[in-house]
Amino acid sequence: MLKVKFKNYSLAFLVSALIVPSLAVVFVAVLGMINQETAMEAAVSSYVQDLAENMAYQLNADFSPYKLLGDAANYPFFAWGPSMPGWVALIGIDGTVITASPGAANIASIWRPDIPAGQAVRVEDKRGAQYTLAVYPLANNKGYVVAAVSWSNLLGGLVKVTRMWPVMIVLMAFCSFLAIKLLWNMLVFPLREIANEIDNFTLGHDAPNFDNALSEVKEIKSVHKALKRFAQAAIERDNLRNSYVRDIVSVQEKERVDMAREIHDGPLQDVTALLQQIHMSLEDDDARPRIERTEKLAKTIVRELRALCDELAPPWMDLGLAETLTELAERLSQSYDVEVIAELDELNELENFETSPELRLSFLRIFQEAVSNAVRHGQATEVVAKVYKDNLNNLVLEISDNGKGFDAKTANLTHEELRLQGHRGLANMTERMSLMGGSLSVISKPERGTKIIASVPQAAS
Amino acid sequence: MSIRILLADDHPLTRAGIAEFLRREETFDLVAEAEDGEKAWELINELKPDVALLDIRMPGMDGVAVSQKVKLSNLHTATIMLTSYDAQQYVMASLRAGARGFVLKTVSPKELTAAINTVASGGLYLDPEVASVMGGEDFIPEPLSTREREVLLLAAQGLSSKEVARRLFISERTVQTHLASIYDKLGSKNKTEALLLALKYGVVTLDELLDSPNVEG
Repeated sequence: MLKVKFKNYSLAFLVSALIVPSLAVVFVAVLGMINQETAMEAAVSSYVQDLAENMAYQLNADFSPYKLLGDAANYPFFAWGPSMPGWVALIGIDGTVITASPGAANIASIWRPDIPAGQAVRVEDKRGAQYTLAVYPLANNKGYVVAAVSWSNLLGGLVKVTRMWPVMIVLMAFCSFLAIKLLWNMLVFPLREIANEIDNFTLGHDAPNFDNALSEVKEIKSVHKALKRFAQAAIERDNLRNSYVRDIVSVQEKERVDMAREIHDGPLQDVTALLQQIHMSLEDDDARPRIERTEKLAKTIVRELRALCDELAPPWMDLGLAETLTELAERLSQSYDVEVIAELDELNELENFETSPELRLSFLRIFQEAVSNAVRHGQATEVVAKVYKDNLNNLVLEISDNGKGFDAKTANLTHEELRLQGHRGLANMTERMSLMGGSLSVISKPERGTKIIASVPQAAS
Repeated sequence: MSIRILLADDHPLTRAGIAEFLRREETFDLVAEAEDGEKAWELINELKPDVALLDIRMPGMDGVAVSQKVKLSNLHTATIMLTSYDAQQYVMASLRAGARGFVLKTVSPKELTAAINTVASGGLYLDPEVASVMGGEDFIPEPLSTREREVLLLAAQGLSSKEVARRLFISERTVQTHLASIYDKLGSKNKTEALLLALKYGVVTLDELLDSPNVEG
């Protein structure tokens, strides 16, 4: 939840980061334009006021009223017009245009008798063009001087642009929206999709659907690629683990089957025979010879069960590493009919030396497996096991045989490879050592025998 | 005078069977029974029996540990291991812990009587199954030479042929020849069995084994 909230906040931040500067730019621009227009307005107003006043003063001083009717056009000012874009006109008291500078054609349309004299006002003609004009009356009710400046001519494009600012804001907002939309489509949406995919796929089972590329953005693509690699690695790891678990389960099941068969063929048969002997003893008058047979049978059963226990989990492992390896060497020597020697001089010299049951079991199984391999695959006649501490304080079990050997350089000794090649024994030895935090190495050359070195780090004791 | 006996075994049926037999023998006096090692040690300390029959695997303290305590306390009680385990290393461990006898639970009453009588009179008794006898009860092995005895005692300490050779200033091959000869004379298949048989036949004594330096335990 917290994550989602944070994501929303950061998104809002991102959006405002885009919008706020745009709005600020528009605002500042508008402010500038308004100031500009106010300044212009003030200048224009005083210009038209002065112009109208000056003209009226001149006309009052120079002309007699009659003269006005005919020769007003002689005044060059009326012919040329003012220096700013606009016009001046002389209007009779009834509103008729007596004379006017060029461009004052639409004076009639903007002229209103109620315009206050001597004051600049802003008016609009029928087409919407804006003017600032000032009216100054002539003496003796002879008429009015009207001076006007046309805003559209004066400011031209600038006025139009000023009028455009709402449009610009809309445009800007639209652009921002478009940018955000693009941002959303190219970044936020693909990221959300990726998040969804991560939420929904089962690690180690699914690979993310990578074919429909969600985004053209390089970074999103590499996120996708990394995700895919990660998912595939998880799948591979899971497959490896599954095959490993399958192995363990199948080995377990096989051992159960073997054990059941051994109990069935051995002790179970014997106890059945024992029971038959007891039944018959009960019916015999002279049961003694039969009971003697029964006793022998019972002893056989005990021996069989003892051997079974030794095979499953040798109880003598409790005695210590030296005892375990010595006992095992003597037993293996007898069962394979080869020399199996445990050389434990260095082990016996280690004072107060203690080993964990796990370590003893690991070394026992490795020794067992090594002797079995040496005899069955290498046809060895002598196997020697040594235990010592190396200079890195590792406890090392080294088992060498005089068998055929093999080319250990070309053999791949990773657990998975060994497993696939069916060398489960060697694979298990490696696995046992890695579980103990140690390592197992195999040194062998054809016709040179094999040496197996199992080494486990020891805390200084 | 009857032999005072303590019996320690955590398995009630086995204990009952052995106890029944011990009570039947007139020369034996079963003074106490214990179902674990701690109890056995307490009772031995309190009653000071002549012989203690100890199971190896018991909850708490095992039989070997009890035997070790008896040995360290210098009690006159002779301990016999009574066990289901036939591993020779158990025999060695028991003997090193001061046990005077090692008997499997499958033993016959006659053999158990012999074992108790032997250890009560200061002897050593090993079950025939843990050190199989060649040629029957009255088999007398060919005596070992002095060198062979030395080799056997050193080898029994867990020394390799190489180390034995180094200590006796002879070659490794000579050591192996000696060992082969010892095995042959005693009828053993390996070092541990050779030592057990040597003890059994009195070729070497338990004290010789225990007194020699560098012995583990």
